[in-house]
Amino acid sequence: MDSSFLPAGGAENGSSGGANNGVVAQQAPPPIREQDRLMPIANVIRIMRRVLPAHAKISDDAKETIQECVSEYISFITGEANERCQREQRKTITAEDVLWAMSRLGFDDYVEPLSVYLHRYREFEGEARGVGLAPGGPPRGGGDHHHHHHPLKSRGPGSGAAMLPHHHHDHDMQMHAAMYGGTVPPPPGPPHHGGFLMPHPQGGSHYLPYPYEPTYGGEHAMAAYYGGAAAYAPGNGGSGDGSGRDGGSASHTPQGSAGFEHPHPFAYK
Amino acid sequence: MRQARPYSGIFCGGVSARTGPHALPLARIKKIMKRSAGETADGGARMISGEAPVVFSKACELFVAELTRRAWAATLEGKRRTVHREDVATAVHNTDLFDFLVDVVNADTAGGDDTHDVDDVGDGALG
Repeated sequence: MDSSFLPAGGAENGSSGGANNGVVAQQAPPPIREQDRLMPIANVIRIMRRVLPAHAKISDDAKETIQECVSEYISFITGEANERCQREQRKTITAEDVLWAMSRLGFDDYVEPLSVYLHRYREFEGEARGVGLAPGGPPRGGGDHHHHHHPLKSRGPGSGAAMLPHHHHDHDMQMHAAMYGGTVPPPPGPPHHGGFLMPHPQGGSHYLPYPYEPTYGGEHAMAAYYGGAAAYAPGNGGSGDGSGRDGGSASHTPQGSAGFEHPHPFAYK
Repeated sequence: MRQARPYSGIFCGGVSARTGPHALPLARIKKIMKRSAGETADGGARMISGEAPVVFSKACELFVAELTRRAWAATLEGKRRTVHREDVATAVHNTDLFDFLVDVVNADTAGGDDTHDVDDVGDGALG
């Protein structure tokens, strides 16, 4: 649009055109700035720290490498999603395309938590938001995310249908209340997670086997998800309320080889 | 029992002014997506739904966490406690899922090793 007011195309194309109208910067395609190409390093480090034990250090080159990898990851997935759109002659890459691409490229374990995350996001954003996906039903992985059973199969004995996150709205509301504990008074009831505010059944009969939601709630809540809570309150799951339904959150993590506690529910083995 | 809707304040307070409740800035994600997406068949710009970066903000979190965890395993393997870029490379090489990152970590390694922490022992123990 900048070129539209230029008298002719010549000034735009000639690389030696100089500073006519003071639009020097328009002449060459702007080089991709570092800050456009990479995620902010601080955010990346924060996520890294969350999964590392406290005594771990991260060298600068490792940080930068991971930063690069994140961009590559986005490109990788987007490329696949883009191809799908091209095949189906659609102009817009939707969240569903992204999820689809992930499952195609081997990241299918991400799909379930991401779907839940997206679902929550839509609820926050309000009713107008769901149009991309909800009607008609996507082929897979998108809209029916709450009814997938497969990722829960390995959640341990006794994790039957009762643990499935049903499509209940008051359930979601409770989650929201819990995950935004900073701004919302915590739900009444005795805390038994070492004082950390976790999504709690609160009389509801359904409970996510692992807490996706705290990840939505910013740093503190994320700490719970990525190991903070597990470190502070080891073994809080399972026996807390005698039901054993909390067990998935922290204590069923077989991968202890690295020597740090991490309740990541979708680890690859 | 239902709490009052907690939505009102979430995108401006409590978390991060820049990223909202997301761990990574959506605008940045979208830029990277745009660059990867290219054009539509008729030459128009590929559009990106507003939700797609939201999904990515979370996905990248999972991704970074997983890559970091695996790199840390390599760090421990070498009896060190500083994660180096070689550890990330090892993690990438050991994980089929991360094959698409091979060029990234290889290019990085070729870039020279000027930043070197010296607190570690057994630095040569990698793959």
